[in-house]
This record gives sequence, structure tokens and C-alpha cells, in this order.
Amino acid sequence: MLVGVLETRKIFGGETETAKMVFYLLAVVVLAIFFTGLVKRVIEYNHGRRPASFSWLRRRDARDIPEVSERPKFASSLVTIAANKTVTKSRKKVGISHLLLFWGFIGLFLATSILSLDYDILGNASRFITGHTYSFFQGPFYLGYNAVFDLAGLAALVGTVLLVYRRWFSREIQLDYTRAQRPEGGYSRAKIVIGDQVFVVGLLLILITGILIQGLRIDGEGFPSFERWTWLGYLVGKGLVTLGVGSAGARAIHAWLWWVHVGMALAFVAYIPWSKAWHMLASPTNLAVRDLATTRRIPAPPEGKTGYDSIDDFTPRELLGFDSCTKCGRCHAVCPARTAGAPLSPRDFILDLRQWVDRSRHIPLLLDTETRPVASGPLAGDGQLVGDVIVDKTLWSCTTCMACVEICPVGIEHVPTIVQLRRSLVDRGEMDPTLQSALQNIATQGNSFGKSARMRARWTKGLDFPIVDARKEHVEYLWFLGDFASFDERLMSISQTLAKVLNASGVSFGILFDDERNAGNDVRRVGEEGLFEMLVEQNMEAFSKASFDKIFTTDPHTFNTLRNEYPSFGLDKPVLHYSELLAILMFTEEVAPRSLGRRVTYHDPCYLGRYNRIFDTPRAVIAGLGCDLVEMPRHGANSFCCGAGGGRIWMDDSYLEERPSVNRIKEAQGLGVDYFVVACPKDYAMFSDAVKTVGIEDSLKVIDIVELFAEATEATELVDV
Amino acid sequence: MRIVVAMRQLADLVEELEVNDEGTDIDREFVKFVSNEWDEAALEEALTLKDELGATVTVVALDEPDVDQTLYAALAKGADRVVKLTGNDPDTWVRSRERAQRLASFLAGESFDLLLTGVQAADDLDGQLAGILGSLLEVPHAAVVVGVEGSDSKVRVIQEMGGGLLGVSELDLPAVLGIQAAKQTPRYAPISRIRQAMQTGEISEHEVELSDASAQVKVRRLYPPESTGAGATMLKGSPKEVAAEIIEIIKSKGLV
Repeated sequence: MLVGVLETRKIFGGETETAKMVFYLLAVVVLAIFFTGLVKRVIEYNHGRRPASFSWLRRRDARDIPEVSERPKFASSLVTIAANKTVTKSRKKVGISHLLLFWGFIGLFLATSILSLDYDILGNASRFITGHTYSFFQGPFYLGYNAVFDLAGLAALVGTVLLVYRRWFSREIQLDYTRAQRPEGGYSRAKIVIGDQVFVVGLLLILITGILIQGLRIDGEGFPSFERWTWLGYLVGKGLVTLGVGSAGARAIHAWLWWVHVGMALAFVAYIPWSKAWHMLASPTNLAVRDLATTRRIPAPPEGKTGYDSIDDFTPRELLGFDSCTKCGRCHAVCPARTAGAPLSPRDFILDLRQWVDRSRHIPLLLDTETRPVASGPLAGDGQLVGDVIVDKTLWSCTTCMACVEICPVGIEHVPTIVQLRRSLVDRGEMDPTLQSALQNIATQGNSFGKSARMRARWTKGLDFPIVDARKEHVEYLWFLGDFASFDERLMSISQTLAKVLNASGVSFGILFDDERNAGNDVRRVGEEGLFEMLVEQNMEAFSKASFDKIFTTDPHTFNTLRNEYPSFGLDKPVLHYSELLAILMFTEEVAPRSLGRRVTYHDPCYLGRYNRIFDTPRAVIAGLGCDLVEMPRHGANSFCCGAGGGRIWMDDSYLEERPSVNRIKEAQGLGVDYFVVACPKDYAMFSDAVKTVGIEDSLKVIDIVELFAEATEATELVDV
Repeated sequence: MRIVVAMRQLADLVEELEVNDEGTDIDREFVKFVSNEWDEAALEEALTLKDELGATVTVVALDEPDVDQTLYAALAKGADRVVKLTGNDPDTWVRSRERAQRLASFLAGESFDLLLTGVQAADDLDGQLAGILGSLLEVPHAAVVVGVEGSDSKVRVIQEMGGGLLGVSELDLPAVLGIQAAKQTPRYAPISRIRQAMQTGEISEHEVELSDASAQVKVRRLYPPESTGAGATMLKGSPKEVAAEIIEIIKSKGLV
């Protein structure tokens, strides 16, 4: 490096004062447009309904399974955002590309900000005050700045190229914009596709021109040796020389390409709040304010209302969530309703709501919108929120399996919103006749089967020992069976098996007999909040009559509501799932099971796994029974719903192209296992049907985990292949 | 249009019904009571007419177990007024004739265009209530009605006939109709609405004294039919064995 040379470069690449004025004028206009959009959107979120409680203030990181519904602290949310954890979680390659682009652009934004700080603020201020222009953009700082931020430029370039490549060539279902619910008059999502291309290709062009002008500048300056620190630009400049672009030519191209680059960059900034690019601000904010409890503990309806029926009912978080959607389509891909051919895609649900909200609030989205030849649904001006903007059948298709919430990289909570909208349908009495009769049965008899409450303990008939009445005698465990385990003929024998296992192991347990009512998990998710509250009152009354230390449930749905929702109604006892109880028996060596040596697969029930993070316990039991567990491709948090949840089990499913349970059994079919192990009564019912539909009931046997357990702990074979 | 719907409470048939010690009534002590499903259809038809034409709907019922629940549910569904007729013993069986007399006594002081009730009930399979009401009130009567289309002075009623036929008749108002089915399945009353009705709605009570209580039907005996022993044969065994047995029977009858 030559002594006396100041390592720096001219800002603006030596444009005239007029050019500078033009640039500043443009910048002011751009910032005005940007902040107009930003303020408009923030005001719109601010319009949202604020729930009365202040529980949202409380934050604590979940350390244990029972804390699964705690809100993460800001610090851990920041780590999640910084590491793109949610983007990377289910799709490594896409996530890493995004991470490169994310940090690359943050780096480039910082670089520009530093430059502006030096030139526009420090430079102008010092000249105004002292008459002398100060600058720190020189010497070692300049060299380090270039070396570091060229790395950011390269990272952004690599990430963007990979994402453009995927956008152009991938055939993945999540990038297919075909709607799950087809409006009658047709629709077009061409503008959404154009919006995607403008966004990602725009970023790519800004990057390429930026790197090119750096190379051109260095080329034009004759490659000063200190510019080796500006390694990317230096290399590009050398490349340009080999392509025959000499020093003079480089200066000429630089003069106009600089304007192309700056023009595109400024246009992009102005474009952000009016497009998909808004997710750059909305999504991280949404991740920071999301509440993992909302899906597990469905919020109450708006005060004085029974459910959502107007734009004013959405909370700021929901509105922010709509804008956070990047249309990545992961929810669309994993949704059991969409997979089954039902007219519900969580992606379309959010996009429809966003378009409707933007339309109603007069916030234009330039591209990124759906068009229809005949205005309908979210595009029509006069429709009802529930019924027109989102059609009934879409809402009823949801199984509340939470796969969408789980996989969403930007923290959108689809399920609670669907439930809030369903509540309006229930209030209007608009529902499947079969659902209506189930609800009526639950209201009059306390169970969906419409059987007399006094028949609830009929399953105990034929046991050679009495089941303790927890209302008369203290027990350690109160067993809450739920409707299916009590009334379904196929499942009553499994309840008997569990009773035999517990009895043989000397567990102190009892039941509520005719005082047990449907726990109301699915009633609540159907949207019948009044009935849910009534059931809670009835069950709490029954609990108060009984004497027990802990509760365990057969049904994971019951488990979820007792554990997560009942505490706010006064339940203060620990709640376990029977698979946990089996694990306790096994690992406290109350029982010594023999090794079964079977090849099995295990289906995670949504409400046990995804909802309550109990993945390992049933697997530990299966392993403890000496079974070889072969996982299905979709397992654990990515388990695929059987289709029964959220009240779907009470509704007609004949319109589906392929029932989710059948889809699931086909997944297990290729594994070479003999047993399909379940830990949920509804799963047992659904999959027992599905193996028959697929026609493999002889080779793949649906079996409850307690049946395996009983076989391993009893001398007699309870189960035959 | 002023519509009155007469509803009645019955033992829920999902319960195992038992006959009381005297053998004259079901044992009412541990039985749950629900509203008669045909009366629910009558209410639905009335509410549909209200939606279509605009009408006031009054629901009237005798004092019977859990009748308040039914009346509040009717309010929640959209009835304008609900009336409970007192004066009968809530814990004894009111036969159709007495029921009709009690209802007629109330309706004599009520102006109405249409009186709807279920065409039958578990304790009125012969469908007498609507007919007796028609004769007591001296107004036209039609039974097994599956659809009502109304105007101010007349109604067209669709009735189910034998052989899969439907008949349409026109009746002058006021009239009494025994409803077999509503045009749509009875609507759902969300529990929150029923609870709201319980808080804000009002059940008006009207005492009915019957002048001649002696002229009622006396129940001599109520009993489940005795098994004759010559009923169906249950085939037992594995599905394969049962199937084989069925084939045997079909063959022995010379059907294949």
C-alpha cells in the first residue's frame, strides 16, 4: 500500500450536485411512501380488538412439558428470529438459503446505514457547524467495512439465487397456488405469481447491479491495491477486464448502472409496505408476539358476542399474522383437510382474510392479490365474514390438528381464528345435521352417542373385579374415560384391558360413573362455547364430589382440555395421559413385561404429540415392550391427523377424495410392520375403518398401546395377529 | 300471522323405561324428560313461517318435567312468547284428551291463525291431540302435514298420503295442523342463547282449571309386551360360522 494514499472512495461515485439533489429528492419521496404504508398498517393493527385480559404480558420460556403453552420470552424469540429457526425447522435447504439472504440483506442494510450516517449526517452536520467536512469512511475502517460487507453481499447473492432457482423450477405442492376451495365464477392468482417474481427477482437484480457497480468502480479507478480488501468488487472488476471492459468503459457503464441500482433499491423500499415484502417487518414481529397457548387454550369469544362476524373482531395479533404470511405454502402441504381434497387450505384461509381486511381498510396491495372475473368471497364488497368471505364448508373442514400452526415459519395461529369463525356458524345454527345431533346429545345426555348417562359405566360389566367409585372412596388416580372409550363397542374392550392392567399392577384408581360428561375439547373447537362451559361446570361439579390426587384420561382430546383449559375454570390437579401411566408402571418396575419382539409403527395423536409434546413417553413404552419401532415418514411433531379431531368425527366426510386416515394407513403400509400402534380411542376407530378400506386388515393390525402392554405383562395372549 | 305451537315433554327414550309399582304409568323418578320430536318439527315449521312471512310465534306447554328447558330453548330459537299452563300435576301422565282440553281452555282466550303441534308422540301414537284440539276449538284440522305455505287468510298444507304420494289442501284460518315433518331439520339452539334466554326471557304462566275432571280416560294397565318365545333365532359363532349357517338356511328354504 502506497504511503499518502487515503483509502476511501467517493460517495455517489462522483455524480454532479444536480444528480445528488435528484437522489435526495427521490429518497425523500421513497421514505414518505414507505412510512405512509408502515403507518397505515400499524394503525390498522391498532384498530384490532384487544382481549380484556393482560395475560399476554406474562412471558416465561417453557422448560417442561406442562409449560408447553407458555409464551416465549422476547430473548428466545429473538434467537428464533435471528437463527431463522422456524424457517429452517422443517426444510433445511430452503431455510439455509433464507438465512443467507436474511443476514446478507441485514448486512447490506447496515452498510448503507453506516454510509448514510457518515456522509449524510456526520458530513453535513460537521460542514454546517465547523465548515470542515468530517468523515470516518476512510483508512482501516473503510477497508474493514468493505471486506465485511462484501461477505454480506455474497451471502445475500447466494441465498437469493438459490431461492430464485427454487421458485422457478420446484414442482412442490406448497408452491402450487391452486385453491383448495374453488369459487364458482373462477379465479386467477397470476398477480400473486407476479408478486413473488417481482420480489425475489427484484432482490436479485438489486444485488447483481450492486456488485457490478462495485466492480466497475474499482475497474474504473484502475484497481488501487487497497481495494483488494473490497474482495468481491475487486474480483468482479478483474472479471470485467477479462470480458474486455477497460477503465474508461467501466466508468461510462458505472455512471448509468449506478442509477439503475439506486433506482431499483429506492423503488423496492417504497414497495415494501404494499407487497409481500412487508413480511420482512411483519413476520419477525409476529414471531416475537405469538402465543403458543392460543391453540391449546382457545380464547373466549369477543366480549358481548358469540364469535367473529366482523372485521373489528380480529385482534392486532391476528391482523399482523395475516400480513406475515409469505405464501410459503407449508401449511397447505401438511393440512389433512387439503390433502383429503376438502375445500380448506390454511394458506388460502389466511390469504383470503388478508385480502378482505386490506380491501375493507383501503390498504392497497399492488400485486400479491387474487383476482376473480366475478367478484365473490373476499373480493366482494357486501359479503358476510362467515359464509361469504370464508365459506361454511371451509371452516367445517378443519380437524384442528394444529399441523399448520406447528409448521408455520412466521408464527401464524390459524386454528383459534377458525374456531372463532365457527362460533358464528354455531350461533346461527348452521351446521351438519349429524353434528347438530351430536351436540344435542351432549347437551341432554352428556355424551355424543346419545346414550343414557347411566350407561356410561356399562363397559365395566364382565370385569371380575369392581371399579372404584371415586365419589365414594379416595383414589390416587381419577380415570376420565371420555365418550369413545365408554360407549363405542370396539373401544369398551380396550377400556377393560386398561382396567385389568391397572388392577393387576395395584394402581389405586376410580371413575365418576354417570357423573362424567364429555370433557368438551372438541365441543369447544366446533365453536359451541356455551355447551363447553356447561360441560366444564358439570365436570367440575363431578370432580368436587370425588376424592382423588391426579387425573388420567384415555382420550388425548380430553387430556388437552383438562390439562390446558380446565385450570382457568378451577381444576388444580395434575392431568396425565394413560400412556404416561403405562410408562410410570414400567419404569417404576411395578410390572415386568416380557419382550414381544414385534415390528410396529406408532401414530402420534395430534392432541398428545403436537399439542402437548408427549412424543417420547409412548415410544419408551413401545421400546420397553421389546418392540421394534419403525417410524412413518410423518411422525412426532409432523404427525398426520386421522381426520377425527375438532368435531370432524361428528360430521359427514363422504365428500372427501381420500380420508386422511386412509392416506395415513397407506403411509404405514410400506413400512413392513405388522402393527399400527395408537394411543387414542378416536384413532383406533378411524384407523380400524381405514385398514378395511385399504383392504389390508389382515396384514396391518391396528392396536392400542395398552393391548400391547397387556399382552407383554399377562401370561395369556390377548392379541392375535 | 299469529302462530301457536303446542309442545309436550316425554320421557327420553334412550333411557330404560320402567313401569311403576301400580302398573299404570312409567316410573318417572329417574327418567330424563325431553320435548317430543314431532313438536320440535312443529316449532321449526312455525319459525320457518315466521322467517318467510313474518309472524308471531307463541309456544305453549303443560307443566311437565324439564318443560322450562324446552320453553327457553324455544325462545332461543326465535319464539316470541312462551307460556306454561299450570294446574295439572307435573308428575302424572296427562292423556291426549285432557291435554287437548287444557290447551283449548287457554286457546279460547287467545286469538290465533294457526295452531301447530306434533302429529304424534310416544304416548300419542294414534295422533289424537291435533284432532281433538280441532274439534274442541271448532276449527279445520289436518294431520301428517309435511309442509305449510301460508297467506293471511288461508294456508296450503302438504300432507303425506299412502303409496308415496303427497296431497295439497287449502284450509281456512284459523286451523290446527298435526306436523309430521318440517321443511327443514329443526334448528339448533346454541347453549349460550338458551342461557341468555334463561336470564332475560320470561315464561308466562297461565293456570287452567278443568271443570269436569271425571270424564278422563283411566289407565288400567301399562306393561311391556310379554315375550312369546317364538322370536328370532340369534346365530352365534365366528363370522365364518355365522355365514355358513346363513347359507345353510337359505339352501334349506330352497332360495338358491
